[in-house]
Amino acid sequence: MRISDLFSETFHSLTSNKVRSGLTILGIVVGIASVIAMLAIGNGSQAQIESSIQSAGSNLLTVMPSSGGQGGGGFRMAASNVKSLTRDDAKALAEIELISGAAPEAQGNGQLVADGTNANAQLIGVTPEYAAVKGLTVRSGGFVSQRDDTAYAQVIVLGSTLADDLYGEGVDPTGRRIRSGNMLLTVIGVLSEKGTSGFTNVDSSALIPLSTHQRYVGGDEYLSTITLTVADESEMSTAETLVSSALLERHGIADPDYADFRIQNMADLLATVTSVTGTLTALLAAIAGISLLVGGIGIMNMMLTTVTERTREIGLRKAIGADDNVISLQFLVESVVLTLIGGGIGIVAGWGIGVAGGNLMGIAAIMSLDSILLAVGVCAFIGVVFGFYPARRAAAMSPIEALRYQ
Amino acid sequence: MASSLNTERDPETTSATSAVIDAQDLHKIYAGAGAETHALRGVSLRIDSGEFAAIMGPSGSGKSTLMHIVGCLDTPTSGTYRLAGHDVAQMDVHELARVRRETVGFVFQAFNLLPRATVMRNVCMPMLYSRTPADEREDRAVEAMRAVGLEDKLWTHRSNELSGGQMQRVAIARSLVNDPSLILADEPTGNLDTATGDSVMELFARLNHEGRTIVIITHEPDIAQRARRVVRIQDGLIAEDAASTTAHIRGYGDGEA
Repeated sequence: MRISDLFSETFHSLTSNKVRSGLTILGIVVGIASVIAMLAIGNGSQAQIESSIQSAGSNLLTVMPSSGGQGGGGFRMAASNVKSLTRDDAKALAEIELISGAAPEAQGNGQLVADGTNANAQLIGVTPEYAAVKGLTVRSGGFVSQRDDTAYAQVIVLGSTLADDLYGEGVDPTGRRIRSGNMLLTVIGVLSEKGTSGFTNVDSSALIPLSTHQRYVGGDEYLSTITLTVADESEMSTAETLVSSALLERHGIADPDYADFRIQNMADLLATVTSVTGTLTALLAAIAGISLLVGGIGIMNMMLTTVTERTREIGLRKAIGADDNVISLQFLVESVVLTLIGGGIGIVAGWGIGVAGGNLMGIAAIMSLDSILLAVGVCAFIGVVFGFYPARRAAAMSPIEALRYQ
Repeated sequence: MASSLNTERDPETTSATSAVIDAQDLHKIYAGAGAETHALRGVSLRIDSGEFAAIMGPSGSGKSTLMHIVGCLDTPTSGTYRLAGHDVAQMDVHELARVRRETVGFVFQAFNLLPRATVMRNVCMPMLYSRTPADEREDRAVEAMRAVGLEDKLWTHRSNELSGGQMQRVAIARSLVNDPSLILADEPTGNLDTATGDSVMELFARLNHEGRTIVIITHEPDIAQRARRVVRIQDGLIAEDAASTTAHIRGYGDGEA
């Protein structure tokens, strides 16, 4: 039988029972679409998390206070209640060779009252280094200067979202006054939009000089975080070790298990998060794969029904001289064509579902060539595997029995 | 008794070149559950090119088994069989399929058309398997449909829109397209009323007149009589083999149908 005849016969037999062919295709469509959608959303969220971590800077080491005695068990204080890091620590760490910048910061919350509107925002006490380390730029005005810090200046830099909330979009609030607690702060600048970076959303925060923060908000000399930039990203681990030993020495702690701080390595975090989201994506795809399997069994079911229903036709075809192998091939091609049509529609539908679902979740779905190839491969495989048994059954029929079949 | 009748048409005495069917001492034994069924007990039969023969017998006589072997749908347990020069007794399923494709045109009682396909598509079907070039197919199908008297306007109809007589004509046209050495019709009038059956038999007679070799399997005396030669099968043996004008057809097979 010629190839063109084979496909013409396949087309004819699939279109002579449109409803059944359609339902079988639907089974495959659902399977493939869910796999594709899951992979697209999974890959999208993974990429998003990665870029969010990377935008925070993957060359960052974050030093945070932490209670000691991690190795020994027993009572451990919540990290936020531990006070161990000071501005002097930050200065000392900045001296380490591999460290290119050190930004001490103190965090707290404050009610900001501005010209009749008010907002509760995170107030971060920063030094001028903060802008460079965190990669911040100003939309208008300037940033906290060394002089502001030295002079306990009552100035404030607003995050972009916070500025819009307080003054409305398109308004430059530079020079306006904001009251917060005992402070009367002058707005000196507004930050450009940055997006979530790491664990802080700087867009909805407000920055004031660290000295001012420590005097009016925190009330003590301690820091909540020191963020360090490492000059060479490939030497993150070495830098981490150096920072750790320098701090232990400064704090007079001999046993690293009792350190009163911990260091977060962004590169490690990125690797961990990537592997976790990768696993989740694989898990989702595996669950979707089960529906693909069900679709495949649907194909086999339909092909078996078809073989039984077309017994007399098979008998006739054999009587007029169709070879067993040709009969087998005809049924196999039918099932492969069904799965490939289903797969094609499934890829498009899955893409649509992925994009729509991603939009709902605020994730940009990513459709990779790999997942399309995977889907097509799986379809062809299912078509052959689940079509093979019915095809063999059709081929193995005796023409005499088949012709006699009622 | 039966064997003496067989000798009336001893293959040795006729020309070997024009034999379409040349069967010697065919036996067919079906292995059933516990018991063997001896369906053919030594049938020798020769049908020459251009003959119009009816193989007749009641159910259980072995005529269906003989038809299956003659049509290469089955092989004999023992004996030799040559169909249009091919020694088919020992062939495997693939070779049998090839012989059927090239030398036999089947016509069935139940027509066996593809119901949702057009007349043209049905008639063309055997040519799919014989790998006939696509540009030749339509011409050959048209020729076959003209030969069986199918009007042009029916060619694009679906086969399930036709009458029984028309369907059988489509089936006969289908059997003709590969230009077979033998047309084998199994109860071709069994699903038709008498008048339609008559016209189908007339068609067979005409095709025979044009040189086709036709073998009809039937249990109906009226049908058998319209062939030129009648071979009666009983209990797995040939009971009579004679010209239809002299054969003992009447009063035979009435218990059937």
